[in-house]
Amino acid sequence: MTTGLNRRMKLKSDVNDNELLRLMLAGDEEALSVLYRRRQGSVYRFALQMSGSRSIAEDVTQEVFLFLMREGHIFDASKGTVGAFLLGVARVYVRRRLRAEHRLEPLGDDSDDDDLFMQVTTDVCPLEDLTRAETIDSVRKAVLSLPPKYREVVVLCELQDVSYGETAEILGCAIGTVRSRLHRGRALLLAKLRPAPDVEETGAATVKSARCFA
Amino acid sequence: MNCQRFETVVSELARGQMMAAEQRSEALEHSDVCDDCAARLSDEQMLTLGLQSLASEMESLEAPREIEAKLLAAFRAREVVVPITRRRSSSRYWLAAIAAMLLIAISVVVFRWSNRPADAPRQAVKQDQPQPQINDKSNEQLAQDVEKPGVDDSLPQRPKPRRVHPVSLRRPDNAAVANHVTKEIATDFIPLSYMSAASLQQEGGQIIRVQLPRSALANFGLPVNMDRYNEKVKADVLYGVDGMARAIRFVQ
Repeated sequence: MTTGLNRRMKLKSDVNDNELLRLMLAGDEEALSVLYRRRQGSVYRFALQMSGSRSIAEDVTQEVFLFLMREGHIFDASKGTVGAFLLGVARVYVRRRLRAEHRLEPLGDDSDDDDLFMQVTTDVCPLEDLTRAETIDSVRKAVLSLPPKYREVVVLCELQDVSYGETAEILGCAIGTVRSRLHRGRALLLAKLRPAPDVEETGAATVKSARCFA
Repeated sequence: MNCQRFETVVSELARGQMMAAEQRSEALEHSDVCDDCAARLSDEQMLTLGLQSLASEMESLEAPREIEAKLLAAFRAREVVVPITRRRSSSRYWLAAIAAMLLIAISVVVFRWSNRPADAPRQAVKQDQPQPQINDKSNEQLAQDVEKPGVDDSLPQRPKPRRVHPVSLRRPDNAAVANHVTKEIATDFIPLSYMSAASLQQEGGQIIRVQLPRSALANFGLPVNMDRYNEKVKADVLYGVDGMARAIRFVQ
């Protein structure tokens, strides 16, 4: 019986997401299982990278697929892929969860980001002295410290390798907005990853942060 | 390309995104001659490496297996599960349709069966409406009938729609009585004294059902069946207010 089940699931693994969703909504349990195994990783990682909490990521993953079972009929294939739809739902649940736990910082004024952005041009390489493990840990913390609207774009475009177009679908904004947010998010990351300058180097760093006009 | 323009493309350059070849070459040339922009590009490339390392480290992360088990359990427990295949779906529709048809057929049969006893007497009464209703007549009704000028006293010819009472006829007992009554045939009232028919009608009185020897028919000029000579015959005797018999009619 198990062999038969595995064989049927193998057959379904060739089916695209839209068809799996249709079958699942028609009551096909195997379709749900195949779709879950195919998409749970990206949903779980997105929630984990956004929240930094395994428990939240697990809860969000479960809630996303429960939502899909309950409200999957609202998915419109003409507006995007099932994967993007799931990440969009996950985004809503993550934000809701973080807001409930006061872990989501309020969206700050963009002028603060501009100050950080201007400090990027420096000779100090923020990552060269770090070991790989330290680098990864530092990057993870830096990503988690980003304001949500930049964090979302960095997570999707950099960590999830989602295209600009799909990211725009997930966030419900224009591709140009995605580009600008990613650019600013990366600048903020660099600013956060740069080690705190020594007192003596502060003056030099300030001088070197001036733009060149070559 | 100047530094401001370089700043707009440095992220794309560091991430290896697709861009115009000419723009790319201009940006690289600018980073060669500008130390700050070269450093900026280097930072971006290091950041890209850091993010790629983080992504590759997390790439293998997956949700715990128990979540799938919980979801499948929740899926099975759903009350609104739609049948998987069309075949099963259509078979359910057929079953429902057959059940509905059976229910309707049973309802019709039960309805007709329950109404059958009530319909029969009603039809009988309707057919026999012109016939006399002797036993059910009250004295007052008889008096009214007698007082009506120009009305033929031959009761079998008089329609009496008021006497047909559907509610009471629905009951089997009443229906039997009605059948019995409506099957009677009576002669006209025959005066027993010298009073005129007009005075009989005005005076009114009381009717009493009696049984007489069949030979009494001959006294009033009516034919007698000799084969049933010894049998009795029913008759209604009309008594006046003074207690004297005024008229008689024979009932069969």
